[in-house]
Amino acid sequence: MPLEITLLGIQMPTLLPIFAAAAVLQILVDRILSDAGVYKHVWHPGLFRTAVFVCLFTLPCLLIYT
Amino acid sequence: MTNTMAQPFSWKRTALEWLATDAPVLTYMAKATFAGLLALVISMTLNLPDPRTAIFTTFLVMQPQSGLVFSKSYYRVLGTIAGVGVSLLMMGLFAQDPVWFIAFFALWIGLCTGAGLKFRNFQSYGFVLAGYTLCIVALPVIETPLEIFSIAVSRFSEVIIGIMSATLVSDMVFPRKLFDSLLASERERFANLFAILGEGDALFAAGTETEPGSAGFSGVVGLHAVRINSSFESGTDRKARQLSGQLNQEYMHLSTTFHSLKNILAAAGERMPIEVRESLAGLYAPVASVVNASPRTPVSVEELDGIIAGVLEAKQMLQTLVEEEQRRLAPYLEADAYEAFSSASGLIVRLLGELHIHCVTYRAFLRHRLSGRASRELSRVVRFSTHTDSVLVALAALRGSGVLLVTMLFWIVTGWPYATLTVTLAVVLGLLIGTLPSPLAAVMNFFKGGVSAVAVAAVYDFYIIPEYTSDMLTLALVLAPVLAVVAWWTTQPRWSGFALGFIFLFMYQCSLDPYYRVDPTVFLESTLAYLIGIGFAGLAYLLVNFWSCSLTQQRVAKILRRQIVTLCSGTITVQRSALESTGRDMVQQFSTQGRLNLRSSRLVYAWLLSTLEIGRAVIAVRRGRKRLPLSAASDSVDGAIYAIRNYFATPSEQMRRMLLATLKEAVAVLHAQGASAGASELKRIKKAAAELALIRTIMLSEGSLPVVMEDTCR
Repeated sequence: MPLEITLLGIQMPTLLPIFAAAAVLQILVDRILSDAGVYKHVWHPGLFRTAVFVCLFTLPCLLIYT
Repeated sequence: MTNTMAQPFSWKRTALEWLATDAPVLTYMAKATFAGLLALVISMTLNLPDPRTAIFTTFLVMQPQSGLVFSKSYYRVLGTIAGVGVSLLMMGLFAQDPVWFIAFFALWIGLCTGAGLKFRNFQSYGFVLAGYTLCIVALPVIETPLEIFSIAVSRFSEVIIGIMSATLVSDMVFPRKLFDSLLASERERFANLFAILGEGDALFAAGTETEPGSAGFSGVVGLHAVRINSSFESGTDRKARQLSGQLNQEYMHLSTTFHSLKNILAAAGERMPIEVRESLAGLYAPVASVVNASPRTPVSVEELDGIIAGVLEAKQMLQTLVEEEQRRLAPYLEADAYEAFSSASGLIVRLLGELHIHCVTYRAFLRHRLSGRASRELSRVVRFSTHTDSVLVALAALRGSGVLLVTMLFWIVTGWPYATLTVTLAVVLGLLIGTLPSPLAAVMNFFKGGVSAVAVAAVYDFYIIPEYTSDMLTLALVLAPVLAVVAWWTTQPRWSGFALGFIFLFMYQCSLDPYYRVDPTVFLESTLAYLIGIGFAGLAYLLVNFWSCSLTQQRVAKILRRQIVTLCSGTITVQRSALESTGRDMVQQFSTQGRLNLRSSRLVYAWLLSTLEIGRAVIAVRRGRKRLPLSAASDSVDGAIYAIRNYFATPSEQMRRMLLATLKEAVAVLHAQGASAGASELKRIKKAAAELALIRTIMLSEGSLPVVMEDTCR
């Protein structure tokens, strides 16, 4: 994937749309995990949530930089 | 001897007190400072053109509890996306046509200001942001339209970095959960409820008045907001939020029933014979005794089981007691006194029924919270409806657009290059402060904060930054004290306006660009432009905010009356909960925006309660009416509803007397019909008669009806 992409005629870093998609995905995953009661068994829910987000965001980013 | 004994205990106590009150503030200061500096370092590393936006965003969304930060951030992202999108659209459409550009600009700002008032909590903040992002993105590049794309992308990136820093730090470093405070407030509310219900003597003492805010009147709207925001946190599942919403709704019902009872007793006052009063006190005794025998703050499910069993027992006892008293008193009471008695006794029965339901929901909430197991009790999704007055929204929209047009005119007339900053700040303030209770005072505090910030920023720009900073680490170190102080100010409610002004002007005047650049002329001119902008915003609040106490009373009375008229003539799809939440939300909004004094807010609250009670009775009568066969009974019910509608559409003393007569007649007809009816029909007829009698009892006390009788604003 290229470093910069053009969306609707606007040039922007590819990281930006990836970030937005990861954020939406994170919200969905978070809802599911919280309704399933996963966070009751997790030591530090905030840290866990951040880790999940980092995974979701970095996986597609690896495609740009590798 | 005593001293040496007491000392270790008092040390421990002091330490605990410090941990409970001061430690959270210090933690918050450290967290906010760290988050701000993190945002600064990241945006500088990524070489973004305006790192101050990132650090400023952090301070705007930072709150002590993580749920609040998430909720505010979420709406800030949405608002920024909308604002940036509209900026691109407007520059694309009207870059060459100033008249159309300004017209659409004003329209957008007006829309956002109106929506900011119409929506609640942080949704309102999202609209505010959508409005002023347009100023920040489109105005600086109005002469060079092609630069809009890069400024839009960088603004969006900076805001995201600020938000990420704030949410990360607040959820990872000593997180404080909003849902925990929700649990604590529920506990406190339950204890308060029991304390109030337990005071049967106070209820039956003569001359009791309805206090605004008693029994958590404002808590209903507030707790609803906490519940909404806590949904952004990890660890709060849907079930817990549903139960909490249900508790809120049931609490509203309980509070209305209790206050109606109190009002009827207070209004009937001298008219009520002493034996009726004593008999009612006897009927209330089982309620008071079961409440007083229970622990105020039940912590376990077993304790609540005990309470629920007690309430059920009292409920059965009350049923037989009411029937006995009715038989005993019926022969020798006048019609009015008997009606007052049956209305009040009906309310006591309803109160106990609602208390039972509330306790069952509370048990489900506690069980879910303590064991984490899904409870078997069904929970419903409860909608909390809101109501905002259209006149208030229209005034706000007018003010928003007006500020923009006037400042634009100032820019065109003076031709001053820095006037864009005046426009920006005036619009930002017009949007941001419009939803606060006393906007003019907030603008004044903002001004004071801004002036102090300019002085501090000057010291930083011309002395500290060039003298002591050489890299990002040193810059972060010298900035830390100022950020920590601002974070402390934001925790103090009386400093919040000042803190906002300070952080705004400090961020925009301090040299936080990727490369150090300061020009004294630019510094002074932009300061002047910002201060003029604050002046314009203050002027707008002074001129457009003419909403007075008597006008508020008239509006509230009119809206409440209209609600009853709609309930009488429209389709009956309205639920009691919707009626209650809209009413409470509306009165809450008017009491923050409408400058009510204590006396008038008490009056407005009494109006609200009588409207809620009459509205509920009308819904019940109209629902029951459907199942009555066509006869004299159903005709009299129709006639009564029609008379209620007519009175509330155009109230007058004559109409009130006519309505009272109609209601009396309808109740008499229903009783007569009941004598010859079958068992199931008799029950329905009795219910309708009881509801009409209740409406009549409320109508007898003219002071509690939503009609402006005298000027209570002085």
